[in-house]
Amino acid sequence: MASILEQVDAKVAEILSGWNIYSSILTVGILGFVGWVIFDTKDEDTHPLLLARQAVASYVRQPGESAIFRSPEKPHGYPLRTGLEVKPPGAPAYTAGKDGDLRDVWRRVAGEIPLDKNSPAGQTGKIMTVFGREDIAEHDIGDLTREIITIGKHLQEHGAKRVAVYLPNSVEFLATVFGAAFYGFSPILIPYNQPHPVLVHLLNETGADALVAEAGSLPLGDVSKEVPGLRQVIWTVEKTSRHMDWNEVPEGIGGKVDVSVWHELVQDQKAPSTVLPQNVAGQVPPSLVFVWQEKPGTEAEIVEFTQNNIVAAIGALISAIPITQRMSPSDTFLPAESLTHCYTLCLTMAALFSHATVAINSVAGHGVDLELAARNISPTVIVASAETTAQLHASTTSSITSSLKKLAHYFETQVLAAGRFPTETFFNRLNAPIRASIGTTPGKLRLLFVSERSGANTPPLSSTDLSDLRVYTGARVVYALTAAKVAGAVAQTNMYDYRIGVGPQNKHSHFGVPLSCLEVKLVDTPSHKTTDDQTLGEVVVRGPSVAGGEVSLGITGMFRDDHTLAYV
Amino acid sequence: MADSKQRHLHCCHGLQILTRLGATLIPPPAAGATQIITPINLILASIFVFVVYLRLKPAVPQTLPRAPPPTVFRTFTPPTLLPYNGLNGMPVYLSVRGRVFDVTSGRNFYGPGGPYANFAGRDASRGLACGSFDEEMLTKDLEGPLDTLEDLGPEEMEAMQGWEERFSEKYLVVGKLVPVGSEEAKASRS
Repeated sequence: MASILEQVDAKVAEILSGWNIYSSILTVGILGFVGWVIFDTKDEDTHPLLLARQAVASYVRQPGESAIFRSPEKPHGYPLRTGLEVKPPGAPAYTAGKDGDLRDVWRRVAGEIPLDKNSPAGQTGKIMTVFGREDIAEHDIGDLTREIITIGKHLQEHGAKRVAVYLPNSVEFLATVFGAAFYGFSPILIPYNQPHPVLVHLLNETGADALVAEAGSLPLGDVSKEVPGLRQVIWTVEKTSRHMDWNEVPEGIGGKVDVSVWHELVQDQKAPSTVLPQNVAGQVPPSLVFVWQEKPGTEAEIVEFTQNNIVAAIGALISAIPITQRMSPSDTFLPAESLTHCYTLCLTMAALFSHATVAINSVAGHGVDLELAARNISPTVIVASAETTAQLHASTTSSITSSLKKLAHYFETQVLAAGRFPTETFFNRLNAPIRASIGTTPGKLRLLFVSERSGANTPPLSSTDLSDLRVYTGARVVYALTAAKVAGAVAQTNMYDYRIGVGPQNKHSHFGVPLSCLEVKLVDTPSHKTTDDQTLGEVVVRGPSVAGGEVSLGITGMFRDDHTLAYV
Repeated sequence: MADSKQRHLHCCHGLQILTRLGATLIPPPAAGATQIITPINLILASIFVFVVYLRLKPAVPQTLPRAPPPTVFRTFTPPTLLPYNGLNGMPVYLSVRGRVFDVTSGRNFYGPGGPYANFAGRDASRGLACGSFDEEMLTKDLEGPLDTLEDLGPEEMEAMQGWEERFSEKYLVVGKLVPVGSEEAKASRS
């Protein structure tokens, strides 16, 4: 009898004798598929274990509180980030740099402070304004500097201390904010489109003694009667209305209110100079006043941030993005949310500080359509509100009908869930999923910041929604939690965090890691307590970017197992 | 020998049944055409389907086990601090000038059997200031007030400060030490 081995050998030979052309085809298919998998496999964008535990918890916690959580950039024992780390020209690269204030942001834009030692001397930033569908106007930075000097000097000479700015997103808005930093008055940033009584109430509450507003946007006679402290008004006039005389003061006011027009002040300037006033030692630019409202016309919370709060937030927002992905002179930044929201303003300052091209569109606000806001340009970085983003998600999702597109969307979602960002490959082009058309050139958008305002009834975005948005926009989406008394954001997701459905799922996705300028702890409430198994409680934030040093946000939050902050 | 023969007879028999089953289920091909379905093709096709399945299977994100929970900061009195001397699996704590340090990572020194084991679970301030590990450096009466270190000279205080700085850099502060009967002790118990 033949042994087992010989029997098996005979059987195997019998099976292999059935080899034919189809077997060869199948073998080539298997080897080709395995080869393509090896060729196509790339590493994840970031190490998955870095996403598995994100914020750094302290090793000891006080009873009645949770551990203190910080960003991994500034672990416990290191001081929190306090500012911009401004280095004067010629300083060695390893010096720490000073905190700086908003004046240094404009000096960087104007080229006085170089971007880095490799950039050409005197390289300036770029600012452009988008006028609807027709026009994109790039502004000369020297002209803008002259405007800042003119308006700032005018307001300073007339003794204005608190200047209300009631403008939509525009270059005059930014010029007034920078003028306030250089010439020592506080800008009060009032969200646009308020009903008249609310505007008057805000002007009185904040103690405004000067107002910069768009000509014709408010009835001057009524406002000056109802705001007794108002002394100066500067109208900004759009180009098409400049033939009219805006200088006239309505009767009944007399000499109380001094009305001037922006473009006339700039034109009348006799010796235009672009020399900004030097920093006087010991003189700190005054604080900025922000108005936190659910939407224009509702109850408002008035918050004052010092320059230290703002620059700490700007510095932290810059360093929250990995170095290779930070904003650079090749980026175009579009704030699609109103600049009166502190997060948007801080990111705009960060973009200016990094010499990115800032495109300002007055079509900006909480509920604006993103495709309209980005109509004439190709932005690479956008800041948008949660309402705008939810609207974009809903409209793009409803436009996907064919199952082939759904399949393409599913494949890209799987690539995201595996930790990689989907790129244009042969198969992608064969069957591309539906994309939202943002900007004139598709595929330019690379980063979308979404701001969630705590306590303002904003629509929730779950982690699935965020992942869908990554596919629709072809950009990385960062979800940030912002609050009234915290400059910038409280927490922001890692830009490489594409995970879907990890951990308990809420209507809102998690908010990632606290910024490096603050630390977060959760204080026990009667219903939510921190134990060894869970970290729940009322969110308390402390750090250099918090108004007043330490504040409770008034919301209940939790830190999940991966140490990311989330709503309960 | 006999049952191995039986075994290979069985396996042979099984394979024969399979191939005959395959042959009856599939109609015989036209004369001269190559068969699509042969055993080798079935095996290769199933390998192909399996590899494609592995590739298209949704990936599960990696997770780490939950981090150890943070230690809760506690207010100790000398009797409650005493059990923390490393025996019975307890961590090793010692107190310097009212701050309780978790020195479990220095167990070789401060744990049971170590050279400074006297300090474990006690107030070590006087011992560190004077540089001595003797018994008389420790407070005898646990219920009484804490050692005020008034009679120590400036060099000893300097030595203790150096020790305290070393401790702050190396070890975690997990509590504070208050005398029995003080306000804080009563407050922490409630």
